[in-house]
Amino acid sequence: MEIRNFSIIAHIDHGKSTLSDRLLQSTNAVSEREARQQFLDDMDLERERGITIKASAVTVRHAVDGVEYMLNFIDTPGHVDFTYEVSRALTACEGAVLVVDSTQGVEAQTIANAYLAINQDLEIIPVVNKIDLPSAQPDEVAMEIEQALGFPAEDAIYCSAKTGQGIQELLDRICRQLPPPRAPQTKKLRALIFDSHYDDYRGVVIYVRVFDGHLNHGDKVRMMGTGRTYIITELGKYTPKPEKVKSFGPGETGYLIASIKTLKDVRVGDTITIDNDPAEEPLPGYEEPHQMVFCDFYPATSTEKGSDFEELREAVEKLSLNDASFTFHPVHSEALGFGFRCGFLGLLHMDIIQERLDREGGVEVVQTAPTVTYELKTRDGVVHEITNPADLPDGSLWEELREPICKVELIIPTDNVGDIMPLCLGRRGIYKQQQLISETRTMIDFEMPLAEIIYDFYDKLKSMTRGYGTMDYEIIRFQADRLVKVDILVNGDIVEALSFIAHKDNADKRGRVLLTRLKDQIDRHQFEIPLQAVIGGKVIARETIKSMRKNVTAKCYGGDVTRKRKLLEKQKKGKKKMKSIGSVEIPQEAFMAVLDQGE
Amino acid sequence: MSHKQGIGITVGGQRPADTRQILVGAPGPVHALYIHVPFCAHKCHYCDFYSFVDNRDQQEAYTHALLLELRAVRDLLRGGLQTVFVGGGTPSLLRPQLWGRILDELHNLVPGFPEAGLEFTVECNPESASAETLKVLASGGVNRVSMGAQSFNPSHLKTLERLHQPANVQRALSVAADAGIERRNIDLIYAIPDQTIADWRYDLHIACDLARTGLVDHISAYALTYEPNTAMTQRLKQGEFVAAEDSLEADMYDTAVDSLSAVGLDRYEVSNFARPGSECRHNLVYWRCAQWLAAGPSASGHVAGSRWKNVPKLGEWIEGVNRTGGFAPAIDIELPDAERSLRERIMMGLRTREGIDRHALELGAKELNCAKALDRECTSLEARGQIETVDGRLRLCAPSFLWCDGIAARLMDAITRNAD
Ligand SMILES: Nc1nc2c(ncn2[C@@H]2O[C@H](COP(=O)(O)OP(=O)(O)OP(=O)(O)O)[C@@H](O)[C@H]2O)c(=O)[nH]1
Ligand code: SF4
Repeated sequence: MEIRNFSIIAHIDHGKSTLSDRLLQSTNAVSEREARQQFLDDMDLERERGITIKASAVTVRHAVDGVEYMLNFIDTPGHVDFTYEVSRALTACEGAVLVVDSTQGVEAQTIANAYLAINQDLEIIPVVNKIDLPSAQPDEVAMEIEQALGFPAEDAIYCSAKTGQGIQELLDRICRQLPPPRAPQTKKLRALIFDSHYDDYRGVVIYVRVFDGHLNHGDKVRMMGTGRTYIITELGKYTPKPEKVKSFGPGETGYLIASIKTLKDVRVGDTITIDNDPAEEPLPGYEEPHQMVFCDFYPATSTEKGSDFEELREAVEKLSLNDASFTFHPVHSEALGFGFRCGFLGLLHMDIIQERLDREGGVEVVQTAPTVTYELKTRDGVVHEITNPADLPDGSLWEELREPICKVELIIPTDNVGDIMPLCLGRRGIYKQQQLISETRTMIDFEMPLAEIIYDFYDKLKSMTRGYGTMDYEIIRFQADRLVKVDILVNGDIVEALSFIAHKDNADKRGRVLLTRLKDQIDRHQFEIPLQAVIGGKVIARETIKSMRKNVTAKCYGGDVTRKRKLLEKQKKGKKKMKSIGSVEIPQEAFMAVLDQGE
Repeated sequence: MSHKQGIGITVGGQRPADTRQILVGAPGPVHALYIHVPFCAHKCHYCDFYSFVDNRDQQEAYTHALLLELRAVRDLLRGGLQTVFVGGGTPSLLRPQLWGRILDELHNLVPGFPEAGLEFTVECNPESASAETLKVLASGGVNRVSMGAQSFNPSHLKTLERLHQPANVQRALSVAADAGIERRNIDLIYAIPDQTIADWRYDLHIACDLARTGLVDHISAYALTYEPNTAMTQRLKQGEFVAAEDSLEADMYDTAVDSLSAVGLDRYEVSNFARPGSECRHNLVYWRCAQWLAAGPSASGHVAGSRWKNVPKLGEWIEGVNRTGGFAPAIDIELPDAERSLRERIMMGLRTREGIDRHALELGAKELNCAKALDRECTSLEARGQIETVDGRLRLCAPSFLWCDGIAARLMDAITRNAD
């Protein structure tokens, strides 16, 4: 039987999941009713947000020209933070289906994902989706694909994942156009781990693509990178129901289970071989995920290293079982007590983890503002990685401070170029190039410090383009700049969690903006509270929170009980998410105020 | 990849849609009743009560539905009524003949009505309280009026969009007195934009005169509150005026407490002042978290541990009451919950001079397994001189009335199931 391994790649909401369902359904793998569920999306959270986080693989069959094909369909996430996961899934494929919404056109992640596939030499089938919609403009969009990516417009398949139109043609093209798996280069087993996830019942489930040799149930295998060995207890494929098989041959894709306890024991990108008959060389590996955004989580209710901290530890550990790209280590802060400093692939990744902590962990956390990783070269020539501004030593010890710089690619309506330019330039962006990808839309490249886009940049982009603008970013290097650390004093005490690193030219302004925000967010107390922003001992801004003379509701009768009770509970609930610093109570939101750029 | 087929299960039961589930079979008797009349001659700008200008004359339909609602709870009224409060809106706008029907109905439904100890209050506006209406009220058992005076300064009344002449207040009070209504309250508002402390002293001066001459035995003085969705709040946001500084507001409050106590009106709740024995017993029902029945659109009730609010829409209320034979569509329904009730007792009780029965509070906390948490909070508040326990009752120290909300919030937070 012929084998084809492929992925579907798309910008968010262009219909990847719907198309996946439809493909499964058209190959009779799934019944109508089952198809209603979106198969390849896991977890509630993803469904709510409509984003796929976990890559996985499904095997279906299709016959064309009298030949039967086994189609291994490898799912990829569609968001900018998960570029890394996309790339590791793509390595297991020979081809990719690039889906573009015919009502939206090419967007930033269409381009980013297409390039990931092109760089891996994948054969690409462009698909123009949602042609059933009245506002569809398939010809224009096919033309955009040609202009932006160079795939001839006439090669694009027009389809509707919703009505099924064009799906048969797509399946046929997948079989005919995508190349078969490459020929084995050795008889010895080499299988690539391209994803893994944790299943509460079965432990770690690993997804593999066999390139050379055979993998059999019961084999004792070795992971060539870590050197660990395991006995395979289950091999199978999702069709999409899990079906056990005895063996995988070259080109095949599926899952394996081997009583592996935690995801930390598995390195995605590692090569699996037979323990007593190993391959000589592993397959070319992948990179390790690199955390670029950091923030602290503290238990909201107590500053002592007590039960709340332990609860948080449990919750964080549990989450990391499911997500190997999220890191954490314990920290202690004067102001906030014991907590964890956590690393994320990007901002969305951070949001997802934080939401899951709240929802699944049942612990209330205070979160500090996200910061990026810096590289500090000290006068003695040593380079330190700094993930927390509070860890920065005195400025006199610095040789240089380097920050991560991203290549940012924006696709926006041409009419908005005039608004977006100042936004990017104001955030220290360096204009690189600009290209018209259709009559109305423009692609612009900038280089910009990651620190400038981790907060509110995406939201601003969206609102300035009335939702039409999209972006993608990729970290390209670390670069020194004139950076300074700004400390914040509340009632005379330094609050480390409010310290931030800024460019010298706008540090004063950021300091002032932060104090104004703090003034709004910290409740008035019965005494006056001075706020100061300080750089290297020099006060650059100050504010005062006036004292309060009263806190009482004038009217409270029978009809007011419910509403008033909720208000008081909320007043206190807000307070729970507060940290007392000296005698001043600082609410959670204040810690996020650091990020306000004051634009 | 999803192996779970995921059958949709809706979590959380259906909320009762009307008051039937609360009222039918509730262990009676209930001795207090609140009736809401939603009509006003003009909408005051600060007002967030459910009231409107009745251009279509719906008084008849309103009264009909109200009577249905009262009849539906006749079983709970068997033990007689001790307090009735008719608020609004402007109940004095209701035509005397309709008032007659309501009073007759109460007479029919409630054994012995109006009994000797009954306190029966009706809210009035100075300009709509006609002698005729007041006579009808008095003969039906009404023995207390509450008059919306708000201010004696025409320009402040104008700011509030409150349409009456200051002099009408005294006249209306006299008419009520002549009609035989013995107990009389006025409402005052302070911290109005542009109001100075001298302006407020003037208002208090007039109010004290009314107290001295016996025209009032009770005064409610409220700091102007900018409720959401009121014209006043809108105007504030638009910058038409600025809100009073809270230090001024606090000074005004202290001034009120001092001047009113000088004429024998003592503070017995944050904003309420009365001659000893003239405290509003109906409002005490609220502050003590006792039970009361509710009738009329937007009226709230508390029976057998459940709270609810009738829909604040006249049309929907009439329709629902007619359809169900007396049970109003309800919102904000809260079923009995020991934790919530105890928190409410703190929140409401702390507002009063009499405070909260400390022993009962501790027992309640013990049952919720949070007695230690409560004790810790009490000790800390006592140490700061904010609360005290006198004769077994926990209450605010006098200067702490200005900090009532924050203190209540702390104590309420201590009441958390299994906090210990
Ligand atoms: N009318 C129409 N709607 C479609 C079609 N394909 C997808 N949609 C709708 O478009 C929306 C997004 O589709 P998804 O399949 O969730 O998109 P996705 O690319 O998987 O999104 P992520 O999982 O967030 O990456 C959903 O509301 C779909 O119902 C189509 O062909 N026609
Ligand atoms: S009279 Fe009373 S109820 Fe009517 S609008 Fe004015 S304040 Fe509101």
